[in-house]
Amino acid sequence: MTDEHGRLIEDLAAYALEALEEHERARVDAHLASCATCPDLLAQYRDVVGALPSGLDPAVPPPAAWAAVRAAAHRPAERAPHARRPLEAPRWLRLAMRPAIAAVVVGLVIWNVTLQRELARRAPGPAPGPEVEALSRRPGQVVILKGSGVPGANARLFVASDGGQGHLAISGLQPLPRTRTYQLWFVRPDATAKSGATFDVDRSGRAWVSVDVPGPVSDVRAIMVTEEPAPRSDRPTGTPLAEATTVP
Amino acid sequence: MVGIRPEPPGRRALGQEDPTDLDLLGRMRLGDESALEALYKRYGGLVYTLAMRIVGDPELAREVLQDTFIRAWDGRDTYDPARGRVAWWLMGIARHRAVDLLRSRPHQARLREQARTPAAPRATGRAGTEDLGDAVALRSAVVTALQALPAAQRKAIELAYYGGRTQVEVAQELGEPLGTIKGRTREAMDRLRALLRPLIEPRAEGPQSP
Repeated sequence: MTDEHGRLIEDLAAYALEALEEHERARVDAHLASCATCPDLLAQYRDVVGALPSGLDPAVPPPAAWAAVRAAAHRPAERAPHARRPLEAPRWLRLAMRPAIAAVVVGLVIWNVTLQRELARRAPGPAPGPEVEALSRRPGQVVILKGSGVPGANARLFVASDGGQGHLAISGLQPLPRTRTYQLWFVRPDATAKSGATFDVDRSGRAWVSVDVPGPVSDVRAIMVTEEPAPRSDRPTGTPLAEATTVP
Repeated sequence: MVGIRPEPPGRRALGQEDPTDLDLLGRMRLGDESALEALYKRYGGLVYTLAMRIVGDPELAREVLQDTFIRAWDGRDTYDPARGRVAWWLMGIARHRAVDLLRSRPHQARLREQARTPAAPRATGRAGTEDLGDAVALRSAVVTALQALPAAQRKAIELAYYGGRTQVEVAQELGEPLGTIKGRTREAMDRLRALLRPLIEPRAEGPQSP
């Protein structure tokens, strides 16, 4: 147990209660991203926080309140740009169902989350920087990349729902010499690939990386990390080390 | 294998046929407003009570109640089951909104401190959670656990949770060192965790109290 761990674990209960000052919260955020044990303890504290209101006696809400909620729910276009038509298959699923592409999709697991939440979920990597903080309140999606070429590698790619930006938290890779780099790719159905980031990992094999997201995650067939000659490649030449893919 | 992240299986509480909270959320994600209504019937009373406890004013509490369910509807795709039950997600939305109001209206805070919570009619629980054994057990456990805390620890928790105060603010308000407040909060949370955990885990879903 490090001194840092010991200090920050003291703040974890207050963190779950959202009772820390901003700078304290940021320190805990950063620690959670790299600590193997604190996310579990935080989940237990959050269970306690979640249960606290159940000690209250439910009251009868004002009769007019539901009518206001229902009326607002009828106006989704004004407030919910993400809302989709009922029962319509998501675009990525429709894409995957096209015969030219695939019969079955594997591994491209997308969660709707906010990065703030994701940070508390054992995201690997060292302390996230201020750019992560800037993204932290935005809704988005998380794609899990699993080790293929490197079995121990795993990564979470967070993509802001309004597109363009993302972050990759990755672990389980070996540090590279200066002549080599890791590169993140978005592979389209036509097999062309766009680079999202280049990066190296720290001595513990981890990295937090800002990502340029070339388009909707739903439009890609695979997302993968390869090892490439530094500073970068125009197209992937190495074996995928971690990936989330669809099956052609 | 495709997918949006699989959710843990729901539980039918005590053999009842009510849809679980996760069932309702799944229907909400497909645009089913009747699922939102069912969730409102299930938790609207508790959200309102929580809001009253925090803001101390019926009109503001109604505003919190409405905002909570509107935000839940708008944000139905953002619920993450790894962060706890649907009910806890709802209560979290409500608490955030209520604390925002509390902080933006200092006079309401004073009102809350002076008058405490005005009495509101209690829900009769047909559509709520009163008649569910596990909900009653959890409620009883929470009340008992909070009562079992030393008064100073309970105060620290209540100021943070219901008052929306940071640890620094709690320390200033109570005139005690920040380290003391942090230690007290952690001790209280550890005791609550030990007392409540058997009732909280596994994280089953159902029409239950948060």
